Amino acid sequence: MKIRSLKFEGLQFGYPEQDLIFQNVDFDFPTEQMVWVKADAGTGRSTLLQLLAGLQQSDKGKYLINDENVAEMSFEEFLPYRLSIGYGFDFGGLINNKTLLENLTLPLEYHKICTRIQAEDRVKEYFDILGASKFLNQRPSNVPGGTRKLACLVRALITHPQMLLLDDPSVGVGQDTILKYFDLIQKLRKDGFCQHIYVSSYDDKLMGLLEHTEIFIDCGQIYSNVSDGEKKVVHL
Amino acid sequence: MGFFLGQIDSLGRTVLSQVEYTVKVLMMVYLSFRAAVIDQAQGLRTVVSVISAQIYFTGWQAIPLISVLALASGGVVILQATSNLSLLGGTEMIGNLLVVIIVREIGPLMTALVVIARSGTAVASEIGNMRANREIEALEIMGINPLSYIVFPRILGGVISVVCLAFYYVMISILGGYFVTRLIQDIPFSFYTDSLARAIAVEDMFLFILKNVFSGVIIFVVCCYQGLSVKRSPTEVPIVTTQAVVNSIIYVVVFNLIVTAMFYLNQLIKLGVI
Repeated sequence: MKIRSLKFEGLQFGYPEQDLIFQNVDFDFPTEQMVWVKADAGTGRSTLLQLLAGLQQSDKGKYLINDENVAEMSFEEFLPYRLSIGYGFDFGGLINNKTLLENLTLPLEYHKICTRIQAEDRVKEYFDILGASKFLNQRPSNVPGGTRKLACLVRALITHPQMLLLDDPSVGVGQDTILKYFDLIQKLRKDGFCQHIYVSSYDDKLMGLLEHTEIFIDCGQIYSNVSDGEKKVVHL
Repeated sequence: MGFFLGQIDSLGRTVLSQVEYTVKVLMMVYLSFRAAVIDQAQGLRTVVSVISAQIYFTGWQAIPLISVLALASGGVVILQATSNLSLLGGTEMIGNLLVVIIVREIGPLMTALVVIARSGTAVASEIGNMRANREIEALEIMGINPLSYIVFPRILGGVISVVCLAFYYVMISILGGYFVTRLIQDIPFSFYTDSLARAIAVEDMFLFILKNVFSGVIIFVVCCYQGLSVKRSPTEVPIVTTQAVVNSIIYVVVFNLIVTAMFYLNQLIKLGVI
């Protein structure tokens, strides 16, 4: 299912017994580009990505994909969108009783996107590019933390999604490796995949190397940048 | 008066929280079975592999412990039964006594307790750790419904294991217990088997199946639910595991008690006593 638009309408979200993270947010997310989500620590960068991935449900208001309210969809109804979204966790997220190879081929095999051999070839190709193929047959607990993070990042794009959500992708991963990873994304973009990319990161150096637009989270609202460099309230 | 009202208020809150807990657990069972039926992507191979793993861990690996318990409890019951029944002159009733004690009561209960101790804790802590390690979120993001992929096969595999283990327990208890007792007391085997064959009835089988199937469902549903109730922190895992054990034991024992009470009530009605 092609993703054309992503919107928040009057969205409110907070974790139990904590202050609200988003309050009555109306926001039309930029699409067809790489978007850098900027915010201070603890102001909702990861939460925003989780909301966009459908991993969290808003307390009030709507999250609309192609003008369809995600909150009203069952797991099965949301599935076509889910398969169009890749999510790179900031930590954790690998199935511990499977090898890295099994972890990465799981979505491809489960949804019969390709055969087992094709799935393994795709994973091996990406891991070869990123220089981590020697760990493919190891379980997550037996590999370095950086490789675990890398496996998570690779899994985000293994199904060739339309939308990619990356939560602190460069943390724990070497500078060369993360640049190779973004080169891989650029290659997939040229093939028509990963059209909408949302990256939450503190890594100014990395983001400085990538063409992107910016959105900001502050005081429970989302703002987009404008040409004069000042924050602009899009909707209140 | 105020104290009395306070007690009623406290009781009401406890009952309401238990009802809420039960509704949530039943909702999880419904959603997991619904997801397993609806989910076209989840092939039979995936389900069977998880079910067979569950049967291996819950059923097969529990056999040594169940064997020891069955031999010990069977031996004790047979020894006590023969010595006391011979004093009362009712040795031929040994079959009835064994069916009542082992098949109807001890078998299902001991099996359930062993499964709670071994597999219930394992399932609750495994799912709790998966939650804390964001593996459940990862499954969701991959478009894999955790209820059909994690919960449903564990419940099904668990129920099959409990029924098979209980059957094994009863067989070892009755046959193994007999051979253990032979070392001390001389009871003719044909006499023993005849007495058992006369005592066992269709309703005993029904009761046995009913108790074990529902004990299996209770154990694995409660343990899966408790595991999934972990929010983020690994420190929650031991807490939910303990809660899973406590809740499973309470529900299984109460369920067994209710079924037994209803069974004997039905017997009394049939005999015209009530």
